[in-house]
Amino acid sequence: METLQAIMHALPEVLAWQNFLAMVIGTLAGMTVGSLPGLTATMAIAVLIPLTFSMSPLVALGIMAGIYNGAMYGGAVPAILLNVPGTPPSIVTTFDGHPLAKQGRAALALKVACWSSAIGGAFSALSLMALAPPLVKVTLLFGPAEYFWLGILGMSSIAILLGADPIKGLIAAALGLLLGTVGSDVVTGEQRFTFGRLELIDGINLLVILTGLYAIPPAIRMLEQVFRPDAAKIEIKGHPDDSFAKNFRYLLPTWLRSSVIGIGVGILPATGGSMAAFLAYNEVRRSAKDPDGFGKGDIRGVAAAETGNNADNSAAMIPALVLGVPGSGVSAVILAGLLVHGLQPGPQLFRDTPDIVYGFMWQMLFTSFMLFALGGNIASRLFAQVMRLPQVILAPMIMCLTLVGIYALSNDMFNVWIMFAMGIVGYGLNRMDFPLAPIVLGLVLGNMIEQNLRLTLLIHQGDVTALIASPLSKLLFGLCLVLCCVPLYRRVKTRLKPA
Amino acid sequence: MKHHAISYLTALGLAAFGATTAAAQNYPEHSVDVIVAFNPGGGTDVAARTIEPYIEKYLGEDLVILNKPGAGGEVGFSLLAASDPDGYTMGFINLPAMYSYSYERETAYSPDSFTGVANLVYDPGVIVVRADSEFQTLQDLVDYGLENPGALPIGTSGSVGSSEHIAILGVEAATGAKYNHVPFGATAPLRTALLGGHVQVAAFNLSEADEYVEDGSMRLLGVMSEERSDMAPETPTFREQGVDVISGTSRGLAVPKGTDPAIVAKLSEAVEKAINDPEYIAKAEAAGVPVHYIGGADYDTFLSNVSTSLDAAWAATPWSK
Repeated sequence: METLQAIMHALPEVLAWQNFLAMVIGTLAGMTVGSLPGLTATMAIAVLIPLTFSMSPLVALGIMAGIYNGAMYGGAVPAILLNVPGTPPSIVTTFDGHPLAKQGRAALALKVACWSSAIGGAFSALSLMALAPPLVKVTLLFGPAEYFWLGILGMSSIAILLGADPIKGLIAAALGLLLGTVGSDVVTGEQRFTFGRLELIDGINLLVILTGLYAIPPAIRMLEQVFRPDAAKIEIKGHPDDSFAKNFRYLLPTWLRSSVIGIGVGILPATGGSMAAFLAYNEVRRSAKDPDGFGKGDIRGVAAAETGNNADNSAAMIPALVLGVPGSGVSAVILAGLLVHGLQPGPQLFRDTPDIVYGFMWQMLFTSFMLFALGGNIASRLFAQVMRLPQVILAPMIMCLTLVGIYALSNDMFNVWIMFAMGIVGYGLNRMDFPLAPIVLGLVLGNMIEQNLRLTLLIHQGDVTALIASPLSKLLFGLCLVLCCVPLYRRVKTRLKPA
Repeated sequence: MKHHAISYLTALGLAAFGATTAAAQNYPEHSVDVIVAFNPGGGTDVAARTIEPYIEKYLGEDLVILNKPGAGGEVGFSLLAASDPDGYTMGFINLPAMYSYSYERETAYSPDSFTGVANLVYDPGVIVVRADSEFQTLQDLVDYGLENPGALPIGTSGSVGSSEHIAILGVEAATGAKYNHVPFGATAPLRTALLGGHVQVAAFNLSEADEYVEDGSMRLLGVMSEERSDMAPETPTFREQGVDVISGTSRGLAVPKGTDPAIVAKLSEAVEKAINDPEYIAKAEAAGVPVHYIGGADYDTFLSNVSTSLDAAWAATPWSK
């Protein structure tokens, strides 16, 4: 009851006009960014955070929530119209979305994507409200040993992320771990990789690296391909059968199923929207009575993909807000944004600033509904136009915004140079098909793992068995083992099949 | 000739005096920069932005807050030390952190690089245990440390060389007990670990423990201030319990050395008025900020006390290589 009261208490402030406006702007910006192939929600939020220093935390979070939900839907627009995913998770949307568009049903596909995103997002926000507060109560069970395993668990999930080229993924993760070691060592005061620079003693700011990795490479790539296919080839024509009421019953099972999958994937650390969309799509196809139409233009395919990737959004914030372990790249950036506003994740966040934490949950919910209102037929046409924005203009704009934002972080150029260096590294890695997500995970989780391992050993005077002393750490250790073995099991299984 | 030289010097002196007082009289003629050596949104930044309008009100000029974070504040402190002593650059200084860096590494400033304007916040260190702990008093803790040297982990909210770490070294030096120092790096994880029973004893600041002591989840073993704190009037100080350790973190305003004393006086006066503004008092109370004004010569004494006690602590047990 107490929690419910706290949640309701946060509501009036969220509805204040500044915050409402922030959510609308964020959602529109998110849809715009999402509909531009190559620009992701992570990038948009990373560019934006430094510009929100002077805003009140709720306004800043409102914009972030809007971008997050908006971008996840926006990605569907080029996925359907051009067969080009606007954001990584919308790859799955292309499977059925583009065939639909070719059959002249683009308007329907866009609408289904919009409804599904809104519904997935709303369910996800409700799960955040329902699950985060009770989870906060069990955080006391998490001591240094448990946090150590939680970090390892996050790193193990990279094993699942790695996909086709595990070596590249591991190199990326190691790079993240390496970058995370820069700065002075908390336990001994020793300086590591600071090269005598005062600016490096606190370590490299997470935002600087994230912005460099996620915002600069797309801008460089845009400049590379100034010419792009014309977006207007596909006609967006409405049809009387396209209404929400007419499709509601048909799509409801898909929405429910995909929401549950998306939320589940979101809570796991380090997985993210792409996997949610894939799993939801596979599950809906598997359970369909007539799976043959999938891949040829079944609206349930679009619905599954879009519900799945938006259902991942708020759920990914659960471990981020409660334990400080981000569930995805976007939630890592939002976490960095919270820290900038002096909001440290964990139980004290819920205790000291309930209005902000619960306010953010409301914002995730409202911005999902806004997708209904803002992402309709007209808006879809508008965003189809956005895709024709000349990239020669867009790319320098992005660069300027990042420069201003990162400069504002500490009012000097040092971080700006590091950001550009990271941008070039990120571009190179991108070109060589290295995944970027493991870098971020290594960066965020590396410190957590090291610090908590050392704390555990310090407290127990070097006794290694202390690491698996409590039932919870045993459980987490077991989960890590399972996660590490899943890809191995899959590989063995596929090898045995042909034989 | 001699006479001439003296009158010349006197004239020069008078001219210089006249010039400085004129500058001081007209001060401030334009806005004053305030260096905050931490990120926007951090504790120091929020404190600075909370008091900013009130200092402006009594100084009659704008304050411009410049965030210069880096190296635990060292970047900003170094900038403050190197800026013009014309009264148009002030900075927030955090003690003992600002001084203790100078022992661990070479810094671009020393305690002599600054003139104190006024202290704003003083937050004494405390040792806390969970409410159900076997340790009832500081003496219990000392006894345990004497009987089982180095066995009891005490978590601190800082890293090596934090005020809490130095305070624990102080307790060890004063009593002969030995503890196992575990630096958590930040207060939030330490507090959670203490409440969850993952560490039995913790040292951090009173304002960070206050709320938890009130709701009965933690117990204070002692406060490291000279006199009992208004925040916890029931809790005896370390001194009362026979352990001569004074420690705490403080936040104040300073200007570079060489700033006209008349200007410093004007600034201190504005800060004193700001701190006593009923509107500010209400805000600070709501935020749980332990406001503690020390101005003028008293602040200089305070600063040199911090410095000498650090010297003594370093001489007894260097806390870092």
